[in-house]
Amino acid sequence: MSFLFGQRPQPSSAEKIAAAESEIEMVSDMYNRLVETCTRKCIPPTYREADLNKGESVCLDRCVAKFFEVNVKVSEKMQGEAATTSRAGGAGGMGGGFGM
Amino acid sequence: MERKLIEGFVEQMQLAMESCPAKSAISGVMGFGLGGMFGLFMSSMRYDTPLTAQGAEISKLPVAQQLRQGFKEMGRASWGSAKNFGMVGMIFAGTECAIEGFRAKNDLTNGVAAGCITGGALAAKAGPQAAAVGCAGFAAFSAAIDYYMRMPSDDPGNDPVM
Repeated sequence: MSFLFGQRPQPSSAEKIAAAESEIEMVSDMYNRLVETCTRKCIPPTYREADLNKGESVCLDRCVAKFFEVNVKVSEKMQGEAATTSRAGGAGGMGGGFGM
Repeated sequence: MERKLIEGFVEQMQLAMESCPAKSAISGVMGFGLGGMFGLFMSSMRYDTPLTAQGAEISKLPVAQQLRQGFKEMGRASWGSAKNFGMVGMIFAGTECAIEGFRAKNDLTNGVAAGCITGGALAAKAGPQAAAVGCAGFAAFSAAIDYYMRMPSDDPGNDPVM
């Protein structure tokens, strides 16, 4: 705990462990969702051969790239929303922010 | 360490083999070989008997000359057929791979479209009507072959998820 003004307290080791755990959960959840989505979208369930053919591998490349891009865009928008609502402050501002 | 390098190299080679230019080249070479065999067999059966005027002329020559002319004829026909088949194979495989890469789907329509383009390209010299006929014919041929290859087999063990 710091006694200087305007400085946030350093996270303790327990908080760091919790942050790492939640990050692992987030990443593995995103991975599972990515695999499930792209398999459902790109690979039709008639397994005539074991190797991915060209159409399927191209589809998977595009699916993964789009998934990450969607993730990034959505998180940017959410951060933007959070910034505007925190700047506006108060219940009224939050209502206005989410009402649009 | 070396094994990792070798495995990486093998994987890269496999990826290169599945690229569109490599597929097109392989198909072209196989078509060339097949066309050569086909031309050889077809030409060896197409022999002038001594009853026609040209045949009578040829049969007057000594045997060695006849053989040499026969072989030259077979070689020419074989070469022409090989070139034709090789071109067909190369164009078809290349366009089918490109269309599949563009659509990101593995369908019948890839083969049909590639067949239309191949037939049209081969018959383009003879005018637009011949190109249209070539397109339709080759597309139908390709559709028939692909449909036969993709028919689900009667053995339910082969298609586990239905």
